[in-house]
Amino acid sequence: MAEINIDRVWKYYGKTVAVRDLTLNCADGEFLSVLGPSGCGKSSTLRMLAGLEHITAGEIRFAGKRVNDLPPKDRDIAMVFENYALYPHRTVYNNIANALRLRRMPQAEIDKRVRRAAEMLEIGHLLDRRPHELSGGQKQRVAIGRAIVREPQLFLFDEPIAHLDAKLRAHMRGELKHLQRTLGTSMIYVTHDQLEALSMADKIAVMHNGVLQQYGTPADIYNHPVNEWVAGFVGEPPMNFVDCELAGAGGDICVTHPSFSVPVTPEQRARLSDTTAGPVRLGIRPDDVTVAMERGPETPIEAKVFITEPIGGDMLVDTQLADGRRLLVRTKPGFSGRAGDTCWLGFNTSRWHLFSSADGRAYF
Amino acid sequence: MASREIVQYRSPLRTAYGIFAVVFLAAYLIWSLLPLFIMFVSSIKDLLEAFQLPAVGDWGNAIPTFFNFTPTFAHYENLFVRENFGVYLQNSLIAAAGSAAISVVLGAMTAYGLSRLEFRFKKDLFFWIISTRMAPVVAVIVPLWAIFRGLDLVGTLPGLIIAYTTFNLPFAIWILKGFFDNVPYAIEEAAMCDGCTRLQALREILPLVAPGVGAFLVLCILFAWNDYLFASIIGSGGAKTLPAATRGLVQPQNIQWGSIMAAGVVTTVPMMFLGLLIRRYLVAGLTMGAVRE
Repeated sequence: MAEINIDRVWKYYGKTVAVRDLTLNCADGEFLSVLGPSGCGKSSTLRMLAGLEHITAGEIRFAGKRVNDLPPKDRDIAMVFENYALYPHRTVYNNIANALRLRRMPQAEIDKRVRRAAEMLEIGHLLDRRPHELSGGQKQRVAIGRAIVREPQLFLFDEPIAHLDAKLRAHMRGELKHLQRTLGTSMIYVTHDQLEALSMADKIAVMHNGVLQQYGTPADIYNHPVNEWVAGFVGEPPMNFVDCELAGAGGDICVTHPSFSVPVTPEQRARLSDTTAGPVRLGIRPDDVTVAMERGPETPIEAKVFITEPIGGDMLVDTQLADGRRLLVRTKPGFSGRAGDTCWLGFNTSRWHLFSSADGRAYF
Repeated sequence: MASREIVQYRSPLRTAYGIFAVVFLAAYLIWSLLPLFIMFVSSIKDLLEAFQLPAVGDWGNAIPTFFNFTPTFAHYENLFVRENFGVYLQNSLIAAAGSAAISVVLGAMTAYGLSRLEFRFKKDLFFWIISTRMAPVVAVIVPLWAIFRGLDLVGTLPGLIIAYTTFNLPFAIWILKGFFDNVPYAIEEAAMCDGCTRLQALREILPLVAPGVGAFLVLCILFAWNDYLFASIIGSGGAKTLPAATRGLVQPQNIQWGSIMAAGVVTTVPMMFLGLLIRRYLVAGLTMGAVRE
């Protein structure tokens, strides 16, 4: 168990930068998720932690000790690979036991640990099989089993459930989180799936183009994204963005668009400096827009229903503003509008976001 | 996986093709087996019987004439008692197995390095390794002989082993690299995370390239076993192998046909058994490396 520090780390592949000046900490026993699209540098970061890649510049410390020049075997980490990387010629038992044998552990202890791990992962009946006889979900459990028998100081998971089908993935999210809580071992979990990160992690680090965008709790990332990119990447369905103008009107500051002009709240106003008048990007999640068929005080903005998508417990309504800009709304399945109907929208202004048109930085 | 069945429909052309295929295969079988058969039968015939040939056109008597003999092992006795073939057989075995073993060990390590590491001029190095096989052996045999004589290796088994290794090693590297390329690197990375050193990680994946190593081992042995040129020039004197020794049975005043046939059998049979023994590996090995998945 140890605190992990990534201190001003850079990674170059030839002349290509994969990771830029990354500083990140993972507290003892914490579940840290590194989230980003493919090619954002998250896997490179994980591989540098494992010792599978050289660190171009900067320092990685485990429990205060610099590990830059330690080979993987001396770092006391266990890694689960995206493609599982099981030994194809070994049985499940031997796949899991291998790491313990390499440490010259007594046979009785190996047997005890392998069986306990297998029981925990419900693969006890598969111990004599070889990897090619297993399904994807079973292989993935074996790969996890191989990691947990070691009882290392740090788990590194590289998109371990990306290749499972949706139902199994949902199940494994809960299992993995429970496992990490039970073992109490620090875990760094790389994923491109924002749902995995939000649902499992204590802390999330969002990366894009090799640069750390935001680091915080899942609620932070979801409710207070620091820039337009994070806001658009996290959340499903994704946040709506509308190009607007910021203008003063009778003491209020309003977000204006050909279809609407809505004042910001006093707290939000305090975060806007005088210089921000001009073009801005409004960001609002589909959950924070209300749609109705009648105009009302809560729904003053006119729009047209473009298409409706029932998704079981909810209904997604894709609406179109006067200038053709589309806005997705999440509402209840009872919504009666049909494509082409006029409808009325209202914004939950306490939960909307305003981003700079110039650099995407969030004002609030 | 999609169905692998090849759908075929009956047509006169297909029937004709089927008949042609059977006839062709039968002819090919006779063409390739008949010399071996004649060699074997001649080796157990007396010299006079071996040269009793039917008259041209007299097909009716051909088969009875051919099989009209009393089996004798005199030629084999001559080989092993008077001509020292026991020693030559041993030389052949040591030279072939020794060079194959060295080629596989060095070749596997080089191939692994070429497959896994990225470094400058890697492609050039790889091409250079293969290019050493482009020159025909005859073209380099004289300078090679001069070098070997300078090192006092002519006529010794180590000399012969080095000579064969020189020619087997590039081939080994070339074939085995393909096999290593097919093993996902993640398996070694997993092994290293498990606690292996780099060398231990290589040992972890060796079972995965075993078919390739096996197939290649046989090719190496075949090359050395069947070689005549090196054996007669580098090995002449102290390290005579079977093919070179067989040549020695052709003497100016006496060509020992019976013994030559027997020597042919002694040379051929071990390789045929080796082939049968590892046939499954050989086929799997030679095709596995070829296709990248």
